[in-house]
Amino acid sequence: MTTTTAPRLQGAPRRPAPSTPGWWRSSTKDALAVSLLLVTVLWAVPHGVADLGGGASAALTSLGRLTGLVASDLLLVQVLLMARVPAIERAWGQDELARLHRLVGFGSFTLMLAHIGLVGLGYAGADGRGYAGVLGELWSETWDLAGMLLAVAGMLCLVMVVVTSVRKARAKLRYESWHLLHLYAYLGVGLALPHQLWTGADFLANPLATAYWWTAWAGTAACVVVFRLGLPLYRTLRHRLVVSAVVPEAPGVWSVHLSGRHLEELPARAGQFLQFRFLDGPGASRSHPYSLSAAPTSTLLRITVKDLGDGSRQVAWLRPGTRVLVEGPYGRMTAERRQGRKVLLLGAGIGITPLRALAEELPQGPGDVVVVHRVRSLDEAVFRGELEHLEQTRGLRAVLVPGPRASDDSWAPVGSGTDGAAALRALVPDVADRDVFVCGPDPWMDAALSAARQAGVPADRLHAERFTW
Amino acid sequence: MRKILLAFMTTLAAVVSLFGYRTSTPHPVSVATSTVAAAGSGGTTTTDGGTTAATPAAPSTGAASSTVTGDVVQTRWGPVQVRITVASGKVTAASAVQVPSGNGRDAEINGYAVPVLDQETVSAQSASIDAVSGATVTSDGYVTSLQSALDAAGL
Repeated sequence: MTTTTAPRLQGAPRRPAPSTPGWWRSSTKDALAVSLLLVTVLWAVPHGVADLGGGASAALTSLGRLTGLVASDLLLVQVLLMARVPAIERAWGQDELARLHRLVGFGSFTLMLAHIGLVGLGYAGADGRGYAGVLGELWSETWDLAGMLLAVAGMLCLVMVVVTSVRKARAKLRYESWHLLHLYAYLGVGLALPHQLWTGADFLANPLATAYWWTAWAGTAACVVVFRLGLPLYRTLRHRLVVSAVVPEAPGVWSVHLSGRHLEELPARAGQFLQFRFLDGPGASRSHPYSLSAAPTSTLLRITVKDLGDGSRQVAWLRPGTRVLVEGPYGRMTAERRQGRKVLLLGAGIGITPLRALAEELPQGPGDVVVVHRVRSLDEAVFRGELEHLEQTRGLRAVLVPGPRASDDSWAPVGSGTDGAAALRALVPDVADRDVFVCGPDPWMDAALSAARQAGVPADRLHAERFTW
Repeated sequence: MRKILLAFMTTLAAVVSLFGYRTSTPHPVSVATSTVAAAGSGGTTTTDGGTTAATPAAPSTGAASSTVTGDVVQTRWGPVQVRITVASGKVTAASAVQVPSGNGRDAEINGYAVPVLDQETVSAQSASIDAVSGATVTSDGYVTSLQSALDAAGL
């Protein structure tokens, strides 16, 4: 067990963090609804609906166009969801965005398959091949119609991306391999554009359609370039983060202190995470998401990393002065989510890191903030000294619950009974009146969230983010 | 890292060769506007009508043939306009000056439909021609423009 006093994180006072208005969340939903409506109207008004009554072939082709247009719109939406647009990130949080991205992506893919089938049938019927000739029709379309060979190549990219993202396949792939294969989605999306321009009938049908589609495509591309490449590059160059110290916290756990310039401009808050690349030789291309483990100052960030066997051990050997590339901050598990005065920070193992930062940043009077840290053994109780220091100086209450978990569906250790909610109430009698922030391994989080709900915490006061998807 | 570079170069090469294919670059779609039947013997006078209304000069008579261009008819896929060649009071040739070609699919359809319509016009000597299946929109526009050309030629 290592006890350290709270690090002296000094620096100029940071600007108050910008607030995230609630309407950002609803307006992104509205924007999606408007775009789908507009796409449908742009299809329906010129001739989309009229064609439905123009015989079976014309109706199939017309429906094929609609499915293609909606698939294309959703394709751009799911790229945009992952483009790290700050307003969208702050309103939704990356874990929720990743789940939406998955949903919208599968939806778009299904519609794309419908588009291919319907247009193939419609054209086969119109060309007098009969519907049985659909494969021959698709074959000749691929080779003869403008931009179609590119579109087929794009489709194959998307098929690969979807297949590797089905849970069974995803589980067999290393994250890095899966991520590189996933980049082919950009190629797939790009290769779909030419056939919409040269063979599609709706994209350039009228000035409004042209304006909408070009805005959507150009806007999405610009967001990717600006927010996925430009902003991280700017922040890396602006702040020039370097490793200033590596401090052992517990067996297999190290804190990395990062110093940089102008960090008061970095809109990072306790509870958030950043993506880090340490430029110390092979493996530097891999980025790692780490939560801040202390409230950031204008000169210093601190992360705390446990050796999980996925390259995180590398941090133990980081030398002071190592340059660091940074993306972020991301995540919305911040003090902004707090709705009342009283807060419970419920963590397990290394999941304590963002909660430790929150414990420091949350404005509080005596008893307002309670930290409950479940650990397998006292060896794992990182930040014990720092939390004790916050108890003395800020009136925080910190409770350590050591021991192996009672069962797979219990958040609490053996000896605390089988009722998770009762165990929680025994430790924090007024838990139902608190905002509860939860962080830990996935199965443990499921158990902790369900115990908190049973103990009477309303859903909108439960705050958690997952990083496994 | 070397594997990633290799995959990247392979992908790049594949994309570049895809763009080498003939349908993978924007190109003006060539539409069959071939004139069916031989032009009349002797001098050919060309008298084009206006673009929105058929206001042709009176067709010259005799051995010389003249061409008359019909109205531009707007169909929902784009404009259709027909030009006929008249000699000795007979339609000796017909061709489409404009057909919808905004996208590859239109070009494909009209590529086979328009020569059929041209041929039907010369055979029928009137605008009572059959629509080509799969190209009803172009056929309808063709017939309307053809009728205006025939009217202007006084046939």
